[in-house]
Amino acid sequence: MLNTSYVGRSLPTTEPVAITADSVARFAAALGLRDAAKVPPTYLISLTFPAADPLLDDSDFGLDWSKVLHREQRFAFHRRPRVGDEVTCTPTIESIKTVAGNDLLVLRTAVDGTDGPVAEVWTTLFVAAGEDE
Amino acid sequence: MTDFTDLTAGEAVFETAFPVTRDDLAAYAEASGDRNPIHLDEAAAEAAGLPGVIAHGMYTMGLASRAVLEWVEQAGLEAALTDFSARFAKPVVVPAGSGTTVEIEAKVRKADSEAVQLAITARSGGEKVLAPARATLSRA
Repeated sequence: MLNTSYVGRSLPTTEPVAITADSVARFAAALGLRDAAKVPPTYLISLTFPAADPLLDDSDFGLDWSKVLHREQRFAFHRRPRVGDEVTCTPTIESIKTVAGNDLLVLRTAVDGTDGPVAEVWTTLFVAAGEDE
Repeated sequence: MTDFTDLTAGEAVFETAFPVTRDDLAAYAEASGDRNPIHLDEAAAEAAGLPGVIAHGMYTMGLASRAVLEWVEQAGLEAALTDFSARFAKPVVVPAGSGTTVEIEAKVRKADSEAVQLAITARSGGEKVLAPARATLSRA
């Protein structure tokens, strides 16, 4: 089970990452999108997922990646991300719901550009109960 | 050219299907950085209790975004995707070789002069795999 005392806690804001033309083109090509120059709607996941890495390395939190399934995903855009943007990610543990030993973990990641907020990204993970529980 | 006000709640706006192979998943793993082996390797998927290699939920959601963007282009809408959400109800199992198909359809949930919200369903192997997905397009 996850450590519920982490609810409300934010992880450190990441260093600014550039949205490069190359990474956008590869992401678009992998989905078969026609316009390889526009940032795909789901592209930010490639930045927000790694931003939560500190949680995997934190033994006090108790997140075992091998027991995780991606359950829900949401992107709310303040503006359209663009190639050339430099953005930071700040993940917050928004909620943890425990049902029959399984946890539903909701992470909300603020994606900010140099000119202000770009998007809010919610990721809900289903974390299966451990064998010792 | 379609205007949002031409759209009515309940109206079906598109229906499309995309083939998915393991090569597609490998390309998506590289592009997205999500290299979880359950999306690439049969043994790893089975060890995780899955029936076989499954698509990344985000790959399926990405195909849904592709369907939406293609519709926006065909309909000639001047619109930006402002909100996009999905629930991954069932895994998309992708057999080796010919792979599988993801069928995507969308209906108008609500529409006014400023925005349209689509309810999107995706099916694969006879199962609903996205239930529901929602996309809000706002006037650009």
